[in-house]
Amino acid sequence: MGAHYQWNFAPVLENLDVLWVGAIGTLRLFVICIALGFGFGLVVGLGRHARTRWVYLPATAFVEFFRNTPVLVQILWFYYALPILLPFEISPLMAATLGISLNSAAFSAEIYRGGIASIDRGQAEAARALGMTPAQAMRRIVLPQALRRMLPALTNRGIEIFKMTTLASAVAYVELLQQGKLLASLNFNPIETYTVIAVVFFLCLFPLVQATYALERRLNRSDA
Amino acid sequence: MHVWNFAPVWANADLLAQGLVNTLKVTGASLAFGVPLGLVLALMRLSPQRLLAWPAAAVIEVFRTTPPLVQLFWFFFALPILIHVEMTPYVAAVLTFSIQSAAFFAEVFRGGIVSVERGQWEAGRALGMAPRQVMRRVVLPQAVKRMIPAFLERAIELMKTTTLVAIVSYADLLFETNEVAQKTFRPLEVFTVTALIYFVVIFVASTLVHGLERHLAASGEGLAR
Repeated sequence: MGAHYQWNFAPVLENLDVLWVGAIGTLRLFVICIALGFGFGLVVGLGRHARTRWVYLPATAFVEFFRNTPVLVQILWFYYALPILLPFEISPLMAATLGISLNSAAFSAEIYRGGIASIDRGQAEAARALGMTPAQAMRRIVLPQALRRMLPALTNRGIEIFKMTTLASAVAYVELLQQGKLLASLNFNPIETYTVIAVVFFLCLFPLVQATYALERRLNRSDA
Repeated sequence: MHVWNFAPVWANADLLAQGLVNTLKVTGASLAFGVPLGLVLALMRLSPQRLLAWPAAAVIEVFRTTPPLVQLFWFFFALPILIHVEMTPYVAAVLTFSIQSAAFFAEVFRGGIVSVERGQWEAGRALGMAPRQVMRRVVLPQAVKRMIPAFLERAIELMKTTTLVAIVSYADLLFETNEVAQKTFRPLEVFTVTALIYFVVIFVASTLVHGLERHLAASGEGLAR
């Protein structure tokens, strides 16, 4: 039984440089997807508030479509299907970025929308009465207050995005899990390799999760 | 200019249908194990005894903070060597997604249980019930009603997560899609149809959940998140 297996982490530790290359790839994908996902999500979230149908309907369709399909299907669609419509190749990084960023934009758009809707209407009206344009009222008065309330939901989304980056291994993008697969098959040691990968992810994300809990508690206390 | 041709997709509709059935099978099996296990983990975590609370907290936190694909790889490639058993992709997937969703369900259960007012506990105890009786007869029935929307939303998340089994070659909808795309050289049409199938199934499910959520909110039931 299990007791007979001799754990040996030496081959994993000797190949830390391979994992390091993967970690850089994971971080690169994470940073790109956070920036694009949260940025585009804000645009879509504001679009969901628009009175004009031409803005509201496409924004809503986008959110519903990307929230209700699995992100792995999106990544594979961008990798295998989209190039047929385009005159150029789609790299693994591009496919993973498109899939994860658009998915995250749809989810964060709903967070922005909820946050903006939670701000008392009187705030926007007071700003308008002071002579601000609707755009100014949104940027100077509503968004700063809404962002504070949205912070825990956004950090949660960020944690989800970090976990999602592993799906890029399905299109052979060089990230932590992809490098782990390589090591495990070279050294025949999936147990140690995948354990180390799991531990690395846990150590990266656990502090973030705890910080989010603390943030939630603080916001609840201050009744924001 | 690409000429769309869906005929090869319809010719292989049976494979995609079988894939969808397998997707629902993994989702259903993981739910069947995940929900009871989630309740057990939640009750353990709420227990005043550290020997119960700490291991439950550890399982919940580890499975919530590591990527599901890493978990799946661990259960599929590493665990069989450790315990000397053959692992099929199906068993590995159900094992992974049961424990993973149990970790999330546990937090839903815990949130629901904690949200029931202390007075309910005290009244139950004052009537002479043992703590487990109060939990089973008074607290859980109220908590479960509040948790229903959060539960169903988790179940939908689970269905989306099951696409990962395609990576370890279980013949779910996504895996069959890949097979059909390679066989017919029509990846654009096949992947587009599959995306639409997932969209229709998941969109209908989440619309029903949101309807139920509004219904429960209207009937005055607070929602535990």
